[in-house]
Amino acid sequence: MSREDTGARRAVDRLREAAFSPTRDGSNRLVAGVAVLIAVTVISPLLWLFLRAAAVGPREALSILVAPSTLDVFVNSVGLVASVTGLSVALGVPLAVLTVLSDLPFRRVWTVALSLPLVVPSYLGAFAFVSAFGPRGELAELLSPLGVTIPTVYGFQGATLVLGLFVYPYVFLTTRASLLSFDTEQLEAAQTLNHGFRSAFRRVVLPQIAPGMTAGALLVAFYALSDFGTPAIMHFDTFTRVIYVQYNNFGRGTASLLSIQLLAVTALVLFLESRLGDAGGDGYGGGVVGTDSPVASLGWAKLPALAFCALVVGLTLVIPVAIFGMWLLRSGPGYASAGIGFQWDFAINSVYVSVLAAVGTVLAALPIAYVSARSDSRVAQLLERSTYVGYAVPGIVLALALVFLGANYFPWLYQTLPLLVFAYIVRFLPQAVGSTRSSVIQVDAKLLGAARTLGETPRGAFRRVTLPLIAPGLVAGAALVFLTTMKELPATLILHPTGFTTLVTYIWRVQEAGYYGRAALPALVLVAVSALSMILLLRQEGDDA
Amino acid sequence: MEDDTSSSLRRRRFLATGAAAAVGALAGCNGLPGGNGGGGSGGSGDGGGTVSLSSFRGSGPLVENRASLSGTRIADLPDLSGELTIYLGGGEGGLYRDLLAMFSQIYPDFTARPREGGTAQLANTIIEEGENTPADVFWAVDAGSLGAVDEAGMTADLSGDVVESVPEEFHPTGRWVGTAGRARSVPYNTNALSAADIPDTVMDFPETEGLVNSMGWGPTYGAFQAFVTAMRLIEGESATREWLQGMLDGGVTEYPDEFLTSNAVADGEINAGFANHYYALRVRSARSNAPLDLAFTSGDAGALINIAGAAVVQGTDQSELAQNFVRHLLTVEAQEFFATRTFAYPMIPGVPPVGGLPTIDELNPPSIDLQELANVEPTLQLMRDVGVL
Repeated sequence: MSREDTGARRAVDRLREAAFSPTRDGSNRLVAGVAVLIAVTVISPLLWLFLRAAAVGPREALSILVAPSTLDVFVNSVGLVASVTGLSVALGVPLAVLTVLSDLPFRRVWTVALSLPLVVPSYLGAFAFVSAFGPRGELAELLSPLGVTIPTVYGFQGATLVLGLFVYPYVFLTTRASLLSFDTEQLEAAQTLNHGFRSAFRRVVLPQIAPGMTAGALLVAFYALSDFGTPAIMHFDTFTRVIYVQYNNFGRGTASLLSIQLLAVTALVLFLESRLGDAGGDGYGGGVVGTDSPVASLGWAKLPALAFCALVVGLTLVIPVAIFGMWLLRSGPGYASAGIGFQWDFAINSVYVSVLAAVGTVLAALPIAYVSARSDSRVAQLLERSTYVGYAVPGIVLALALVFLGANYFPWLYQTLPLLVFAYIVRFLPQAVGSTRSSVIQVDAKLLGAARTLGETPRGAFRRVTLPLIAPGLVAGAALVFLTTMKELPATLILHPTGFTTLVTYIWRVQEAGYYGRAALPALVLVAVSALSMILLLRQEGDDA
Repeated sequence: MEDDTSSSLRRRRFLATGAAAAVGALAGCNGLPGGNGGGGSGGSGDGGGTVSLSSFRGSGPLVENRASLSGTRIADLPDLSGELTIYLGGGEGGLYRDLLAMFSQIYPDFTARPREGGTAQLANTIIEEGENTPADVFWAVDAGSLGAVDEAGMTADLSGDVVESVPEEFHPTGRWVGTAGRARSVPYNTNALSAADIPDTVMDFPETEGLVNSMGWGPTYGAFQAFVTAMRLIEGESATREWLQGMLDGGVTEYPDEFLTSNAVADGEINAGFANHYYALRVRSARSNAPLDLAFTSGDAGALINIAGAAVVQGTDQSELAQNFVRHLLTVEAQEFFATRTFAYPMIPGVPPVGGLPTIDELNPPSIDLQELANVEPTLQLMRDVGVL
């Protein structure tokens, strides 16, 4: 037996031991096996990239990879990821602290409103921004008689601003989760020990919420890396835009090469994060849940704090909704007539497929989250990290991979709902793994031991003890997947069953035909339905403050 | 056209519902009653058996006083019968769905299963699906996508009688055929300029005194980028760079798209612009007294004509139905539909475009392989270098 073999076996043994106390039996091995199987299944479609990239000759491939334009988009993409992540943390963390720890008035209302930008698809949000602030936009038209010209929204700053504003809720929500499970007595203790709030926050709170923040920041970073709509609308050149241009130009080989390069960037970010992340704790914290009384009084800062919240909500919700409303009132592009009326079926289809995706993704996430929460081993870490791969590639890449595999190897699945749901699972798995994992970490293993001593089977102990305890994490993960599925466009457009129209494919249809006014109603429905589920999500947080 | 000899019951039935649909279209209603082609009053035997052309025709000021049309009519063709999966790429998908619904009304035995997506995306999809593709017909708004599918060997030969009515440059390989065209054009404000003020050559625009500080364009719009791509292919990279720079130096105004460009010309904000021809027609359809007309350059990138077109997908088990369907897209009725509802250029000579435009054979498009227009990346580089994007 080679050294590698023993190493691998030892790793698996350790994984199993760590993951499945107090007893070892077949079902433990089964869970680990299922987790590995799921991870492999989810990554495997992307092997298609290598198949397509192989069509490009090695010399040509090298020249593409080191071409000045490729380096440009590389720098642009990395810059955008860094700036969007930075902006999201800068917005998300203070807002989370304000809504959890401070005596901000109307905290609950702000919490819901500040989470809602997540449900505005960035292609709509960016479009609304350009409509408002772009050349010849509403605001420019409004201000030009007064001789005021507004700076351009296009380019790096515009893309950063729009992406940051619409995805910071990932950081906001994960940081909130950490803060909510943080034992505020520690903070109070630190403050009584003569530390000011700021110093106490830095020394006591920050280390505890770092893993939660990091989880949110990772979701933001890879969203920024894989998003196509916003950079394209804001005229900013990123990997994803170039990949799309290549597909539009039928350069599938080049597109695949660039996608592989994108995956390399993903791996690098994950590696760096794991180096940094080791310093922190191991989850979203785990102590007393709930903060009935705020620990920090805002004092004179109350007004600026309110203004800050109002500004963010104004930019992310009021402006898009106002623009959608204006589209509603505006006439179409001057066609004679077109049979593209809105049907409520589209909303039902959207909700239906999003619920399926949410349930499917949580079921797939559970074993992976369980194993990775119960073990610190490399294998367990790798298992969790591998789920980010599908999230970090642009939707079109995954969709075309599944077109190839589906049509040629699983024709009975091709263009059916199960394959579409599978695509969503591949895309959104890390969103569910993250929140599930953190709730599994919070389950005290002694409880399970007690249940087993009282004669429960491992399965019974899981069902009666673990499951109720991790339910909030599962629900939070499901809600995140639900929301992102509601607004997912590229995979939906390519893989939907023929005749199955959803809100986003309908919005796409009317926008393509130039009927922006017709996009307003489905866009508002999309936001409203998603907002309802957001309220449900926040209720599950256990936030009764 | 009261001379149809067909005794087909279902066509008579369409007449009854077709009249209702025409009223709906005139009243500006959205679309058609979906899939209830069974009308009710069919079978009475005295309907005359004609397919009403007016139900295909759009409405509005541009559509009044249509000349008499000639060409193959739906009644001349065999019935469409069976189920057809149609990959419907891009833009006017909503309107194309209307036409499919009308076909289904005429032929209750015909079921169209349209599958929408971006044109290039659907082309990539068909190529990835290979011989297992569920698609029977690929109907796309862009020649480049048809060309890519064709090059991948995924298109079947169209029979001669399908394509014979269409000018040859719009079915270059015989495996796809144009169904409607869109021409690059120069919308101009008739209060400010006359047709003689617009140069005949697009390359002369930057040097034309009367157009300085009064032109508009939409550089982020795909059709504009295709136009610059054509210029790059015809005139070369450095001439194109100079042209873009010259337009910038001449104070050209940027608009988000070409509908707004055309609208701004009508408003007198600018005197002229670059836009696909149908945008000016849409403006005029909504505001019939708008001081707006179209000029065309000749034989250069400014006179580019791109097409929407259709292909029968290789390996379909519905080959006959698919060919017959493409033939239906080139009937007088369907061509009138494209001409009067989307203001596109009809592909058959017997149906003139609306709004007094020159017919397609009066235009002088550049000789260029439409498929090469897909190579947009160098164009984007160029436009970014100059600072247009």
